[in-house]
Amino acid sequence: MNSEITRRQALLGILGLGGTVAGTLVAPAAAEEHPAHPVAPPDAVSMLYDNTICTGCRACMMACNDANGLPSDTLLSGGLWDTPTGLNSKTKNIIQCYEEPNGAGFAYVKRQCMHCLDPACVTGCPFGALKKNEWGAVTWDGSLCIGCRYCEVACPFDVPKFEWDHWNPKIVKCEFCFEQRLKENQQPACTGVCPTGAVIFGKRVDLLAKAKERIAASPDKYFEKRVYGEHEAGGTQVLYLSNVAFEKIGLPKLGSTSLGHYATKVTSVIYKWLSGPIVVAGILGAMIKRNWDRHEAERPEREKQTGLQDQL
Amino acid sequence: MNTSNNLRKYISSLNRHDSSSSTHDERGSTFVNHWQRGVPAYREPVMTPALLFFAALAAVGLTLALVRFVSPLGPFSGMNDAYAWGIWKSFNVLTLTALGSGPLAVGIAAWVFNRTKLHVIMRTALVSGFLFYTTGLVALGFDVGRAWNFYNILLPWRWNTHSAMLEISFCMPVYAAVFLAFENLPLVLERFYYTGTDATKAFLRKCAPSLRRIYPFMITGAYLFPLMHQSSLGGLLLLAGDKINPLWQTPFLPLLYLLAAGMCGLGFVTFLLLISCLRYSRPLDVDVLGELGNLLSGGCFLFLAVRFGDLVWRGQLHSAFAFDKWSFLFLFETALILVPAVALRSKLIRETPRSLLHMASLACLGGLLYRFIPTTIAFAPAHKAVYFPSLPELLMAIGYISLGIVAFALAVKYFAVLPGGVEDWNHMFRVVRLPRAASRAKGETLWPASPSTP
Repeated sequence: MNSEITRRQALLGILGLGGTVAGTLVAPAAAEEHPAHPVAPPDAVSMLYDNTICTGCRACMMACNDANGLPSDTLLSGGLWDTPTGLNSKTKNIIQCYEEPNGAGFAYVKRQCMHCLDPACVTGCPFGALKKNEWGAVTWDGSLCIGCRYCEVACPFDVPKFEWDHWNPKIVKCEFCFEQRLKENQQPACTGVCPTGAVIFGKRVDLLAKAKERIAASPDKYFEKRVYGEHEAGGTQVLYLSNVAFEKIGLPKLGSTSLGHYATKVTSVIYKWLSGPIVVAGILGAMIKRNWDRHEAERPEREKQTGLQDQL
Repeated sequence: MNTSNNLRKYISSLNRHDSSSSTHDERGSTFVNHWQRGVPAYREPVMTPALLFFAALAAVGLTLALVRFVSPLGPFSGMNDAYAWGIWKSFNVLTLTALGSGPLAVGIAAWVFNRTKLHVIMRTALVSGFLFYTTGLVALGFDVGRAWNFYNILLPWRWNTHSAMLEISFCMPVYAAVFLAFENLPLVLERFYYTGTDATKAFLRKCAPSLRRIYPFMITGAYLFPLMHQSSLGGLLLLAGDKINPLWQTPFLPLLYLLAAGMCGLGFVTFLLLISCLRYSRPLDVDVLGELGNLLSGGCFLFLAVRFGDLVWRGQLHSAFAFDKWSFLFLFETALILVPAVALRSKLIRETPRSLLHMASLACLGGLLYRFIPTTIAFAPAHKAVYFPSLPELLMAIGYISLGIVAFALAVKYFAVLPGGVEDWNHMFRVVRLPRAASRAKGETLWPASPSTP
């Protein structure tokens, strides 16, 4: 049994170890594609929704359906009017009402895509059908989507919806009216139509400042005296002010680290320039070759002994 | 007949009590019923009632799959926007490919770490692994909503290289279609060789050296690829973040998924060998099975060490022993793995077929449960919803598994898959029906006396 390592195998092993060390040293130095706390670019657009101003008139829902060519969801109303029970494949934008259990009060909430700074859906989408576009709008491209629904599993806000009842299903989610309005220099349909200014459109820096001004002006009015979306899941481009707990109106409690960072911080190092797989292949290959050569050396003797051919 | 003379001499040399011809065997211990090579189960009938039953289930499942191809996913399955992944992904792919990781686990032990005893069971692992992967990929094909866009896999500039889903979409089909198919090629060619004409034989003899030349490179790829995608399957769940209970959501998910695959791979090959040898009246080999049991115990301990190390590192150990719903689920899953880990340390248990079968099954169940729980049971979407697979969904999932069972039974019959002794080898791969009793010599028991227990 010859277990000595040949010069070539030693070289391969050294190359492998060197590659691992170099890989771990070099990779973090390069610019991170999924930083833990992404910074919004200066031109990032935003929506600010303040539920102390909203009257629940639902004009934004009609405007959204119009702008996106969506049908009314009339399942509950027996075909009369648009009454969705939540975001679904016919509803990209919805006003929902939260009522305190003892009837002490109620609060509205407008739900649509949050347009995260580092969206989990975009990180997971295998062929980039979901994409962070100009000004930060997250859009969907049907020609690249395989319908794997990973975006639905990944999204912490449960936003992307799938057309379960279509043979050619689409992923339906708010796209910030990117194609039909943003590109035409118009604001999204929902902010444009809002009669009370409960939801307003602007640059993210401006709206964040504005939200903080409102909190400063009347600090007791707002829950936790903070803006939801400033840090949630690494930061979102839709910002919320609320007079009740965010969890009560369906905005989940989330950490400040982007999910894309959490999911790729290790793999992005291992797969950098495919260094990890190449190193592993080198080590495996060297050991396999050694055992294979031994097997092949013993084979003729064995075949002669048994009179049977070696089986692989 | 020179060959048969040689064979007879070799067989008698294997008999350890025959001191006159004490030739050494490089593979370690030697005794009569030692597994030496893959041997077809050519004495067994094919169309048994059980096989017809599974074939019927497979036919139902595949018919439904065809209907699903032209029908929307909605009415067909119990999936919804909150539980967007049903059992086709979470069970047939994420969970069952762990059982199909036998070629990875046994292959690495045999070819990388030179556990030469295990070469003889590679074919059982390879055929079962290939079937788990192909049926899993079929399940995936009928699960995605826009399968026609999958051609994008051929256009690398459209890849999102940050996506674990992309890694799986590329790696799994390539692994099954290239590496596993190549590893399974010898047993197909071998049948052609022994049953074919002289021209076929001459052609195959000419091909054999090139096949052997690329073999070490191909098996390197065959171990690299599943190392990548079995860990990526766990990596998929990282993006789900807080939706998954903290007992299961961890940055170590990819490593744990990979270790669970290795554990299930070893466990399932042991299980499959035991039940197939029972079904086809094959004598067992204590040494090889004991080696598998030993490795399986090590695999279980390694998995548990990483699992508990991770809980301690994240400071979640207290929720493991909170004795609430999740804690009990975790403890149940852990017990399923801990019992075989400890029990298989005992040589007596490893070398008793019944106990080995029980322990291998427990380890498989534990590994499967670990891989299934975070996809469905411990998965809580942001808004309340329920998911239970619909009847067609269940029938399709069962259909894929049945398809694998039928294909395995046929493979065992027509190809040299299951390990056997050299004395069982038949060059002609004769397809003849003989009474079952004839398959064993008189007085021979299923379980030969172990050389270590006089």
